[in-house]
Amino acid sequence: MASLNDYLFVSGLLFAIGLGGVMIRRNIIVIFMSLELMLAAANITLVAFSRLHISANGLPDYDGQVLVFFIITVAAAEVAVGLAIIVALYRARQTIDVEDLTSMRG
Amino acid sequence: MPAHWLEAYVVLAGIVLLMLEAFLPRKEKFLIGCLGIGALIFGLVLLFWAEAPENNKEMTRFYAWDSQAKFFKGFALLAGIMTLTLCLDYRKILAKFTANPDSDDSTGEYYCLILFAVAGMMWMASAKDLVSLFVSLELTTITLYILVAYMRRNVGSLEAGVKFLILGAISTGFLVYGISWIYGATGTTSLAAIGETMSEENSTYLLFGLALILISLAFKVGAVPMHLWIPDVYQGAPTPTTAFLSVASKASGFAVALRVLQPFFENSITAEKTTFIVAVLAGATILVGNLAAIPQTNFKRLLAYSSIANAGFILLGIAAWNSKSDLSAFQVTGFYLSVYFLMTFAAFFILGAIHRDSGSDEIAAFEGLGTRNPALAFLTTIVIGALAGLPLTAGFFGKLFAFQAAVGASLWIPISLGFVGVAAGFFYYFKIIRAMYWRKSLKTSPVKVRLLSFYVIAVLTGLIIFLGFFPQPILWLLGA
Repeated sequence: MASLNDYLFVSGLLFAIGLGGVMIRRNIIVIFMSLELMLAAANITLVAFSRLHISANGLPDYDGQVLVFFIITVAAAEVAVGLAIIVALYRARQTIDVEDLTSMRG
Repeated sequence: MPAHWLEAYVVLAGIVLLMLEAFLPRKEKFLIGCLGIGALIFGLVLLFWAEAPENNKEMTRFYAWDSQAKFFKGFALLAGIMTLTLCLDYRKILAKFTANPDSDDSTGEYYCLILFAVAGMMWMASAKDLVSLFVSLELTTITLYILVAYMRRNVGSLEAGVKFLILGAISTGFLVYGISWIYGATGTTSLAAIGETMSEENSTYLLFGLALILISLAFKVGAVPMHLWIPDVYQGAPTPTTAFLSVASKASGFAVALRVLQPFFENSITAEKTTFIVAVLAGATILVGNLAAIPQTNFKRLLAYSSIANAGFILLGIAAWNSKSDLSAFQVTGFYLSVYFLMTFAAFFILGAIHRDSGSDEIAAFEGLGTRNPALAFLTTIVIGALAGLPLTAGFFGKLFAFQAAVGASLWIPISLGFVGVAAGFFYYFKIIRAMYWRKSLKTSPVKVRLLSFYVIAVLTGLIIFLGFFPQPILWLLGA
């Protein structure tokens, strides 16, 4: 059976992959996917810790798992707004490459 | 009336106005803005009558009701009122870059979104559990994404929106990962309980979580290392959004930072390390903000760097949490933010007036203002002087209290960086005064200022001077 450390390792790895993706990739859609990976990493950590903290009645501490639902909901709202902005940008500039976002300099 | 009805009231007002917007004639969408201002003023009145929410388990865990919550709620409401006023004068430009340039057609939603963001900020002021903190912070941030990218026919606004979106989403990632580690180390998300369960064994994990949360809060307040978005987003976003971002969003970020940092500063196990982390952030932010502002030629971008620099001075006050000075970190922060509120909104109203006259945000657009509109030039001089921290203006006391607190905590290195920052500040702020009085302009026609804008600028400037002599009213509001 996987131990707590395994879960934390996987989630840390996911977070690192997500952050690396955001920094290295130039396509905004891919950057957005990497951002979702970062949130998924946090969710895995929360569920793993929720199973670690056993409350007085022998059940896991559900506070962490409830927070996961909040994170999923907020992430969905963020994606909805984010994709709308990306579509608007594509209509105006015909590009979704961050290298092309250079109208402001200073 | 229980205090938590206030936020519900603001959200409800936003939804009602959004409904109403659909039935108004195309040319009269500005009525939504006027009604929004009315609704927020009524909310401000209600704030004085509000009483503590009922004492049940849910409310006491998630909802704080103390002088800090009251102050930041009032701050968010006032900032909302000022932003909507600024919008009323800005709506022509907003309409020009949205669906239908000849009418107010798609500007109505803008006012409603500001109400939603204000509600989010009011919740942030009361959030004392990491869950409610996360949800209210995201309500504000997601609304701000739309407000930044609102001018969808304007490339600058859209680019600013995308940059804000990507960095905002990264900061969300850091925030939730930090929360998950703090939850893992303590088994609770309540900030009060975190202070109680802190011990030598779990302090390492807690500090790791805190560092991640601080990165995301640095994004909110515009501090190093997450300051990179500020210049581009401030320059590209519609001017009312920029003003709202730089005042209200920053203030609510600091409200949350004060709550999150409190258990860490007040526990002797972590106090020293937390002071070190925040002091490093403060020093770096002051240095980056002030030095990068020096070569700027665009006034909006200059204000962006100035907002980074000001965030640095506030962080200096927070780093001095356990200082021996008379004022608490909350009072120093609250005072600085109140002064910053007056100066920044005055500067943005001036920018709005100049932009309407010349169509440009460059410092060059201020040339000859001394002869073209002496009254406005005089008011601008006072505002700029206050931003630089000139004595006899409120800006001086803001910086003074922050430095006093830092001296009480013996943070000598950030203090010396602060002096470098103030000196650099005098240099770049006075470029605008030089442009107004020493440079000749090709145009000689007088600069017209809308009456509403002019009165608002005059009142804000009057308050800056008044508080420069008597800072007591604000200190009284902060309970000092």
